[in-house]
Amino acid sequence: MVHSQLPWFVGGPVLGLCVVAMRWLMNERLGVMGAWTDVVDTVSAKRLSFGPFGWMLFGLIAGAAVFALIAGGPDFHGYGWLTDTFDSTLLIVAILFACGVLIGLGTKIAGGCTSGNGLSGNAMASPASLVATMTFFATGIAVTVLTEALIS
Amino acid sequence: MSTRVAGALIGVVFGVVLSWSGMTSPEVIREGLLFQSSYLFLFFGGAVTTAFVGLRILRRRAPRALLTGERVRWETVRPERRHVAGSLLFGVGWGVSGACPGPIATQLGQGIAWGVPTTVGLVLGIVLFGRLQARGRAKSSVIPSPVAADATA
Repeated sequence: MVHSQLPWFVGGPVLGLCVVAMRWLMNERLGVMGAWTDVVDTVSAKRLSFGPFGWMLFGLIAGAAVFALIAGGPDFHGYGWLTDTFDSTLLIVAILFACGVLIGLGTKIAGGCTSGNGLSGNAMASPASLVATMTFFATGIAVTVLTEALIS
Repeated sequence: MSTRVAGALIGVVFGVVLSWSGMTSPEVIREGLLFQSSYLFLFFGGAVTTAFVGLRILRRRAPRALLTGERVRWETVRPERRHVAGSLLFGVGWGVSGACPGPIATQLGQGIAWGVPTTVGLVLGIVLFGRLQARGRAKSSVIPSPVAADATA
């Protein structure tokens, strides 16, 4: 059962309900960047007293681990167009590292990622989140189309 | 139930869905961004629509949060330059790697080693942002001051 992709009309609404649950239980905006930040800030302060956001990150990782155990392995092998295009592992690692910095710094500056701005912010009809979402979708599409044109 | 347990449980549900839907896979994201598959947009649209309707019902019917007793409410944020500038940087990283903060965590959970360099970069980005903020660049219109930064971002 877990080997076929969950239908969008099930998976999408369940994620939407996670946003509602976060608000209903503790009046917080669900955002995975908030979760990463809680863990980074708490560890930087040499403490281990994570808040609900830090625990959400651990839950995310645990949920994915349980999925992989039941499915008998990860969801995919290789790393998409990067491992199809480049032979050098070192180069791919460098590219992914640079992407990580852009994602971390960019979402912190923008005050949210695909979940914080894209899901929760848009669901609250926050104009800043709408602007952020249009920007990262447009940029993501442009960069993907550009890299696809370059390698083909 | 403590807010920590609740956060962890919401995380588990989120992590299973991000894995089962294929959102953890850079290939699924890339097919979406190249418009080869409609799944990404339908999935995202289904999530936003559900949350939009659910939050509105919640705000009308539940004045207090179940665990904290706080009033259920939120403020909307006015768009500033930083929302565009930050999302441009993020969009480049997302387009190239096919990963964003949630799927980076689920890649780690599934034991995908390619998620490690992305995670190291992500953590460095968060630390870098903290340094830029602390160095008094708060007056810049792009790096928000700690006070102005969105609460949970």
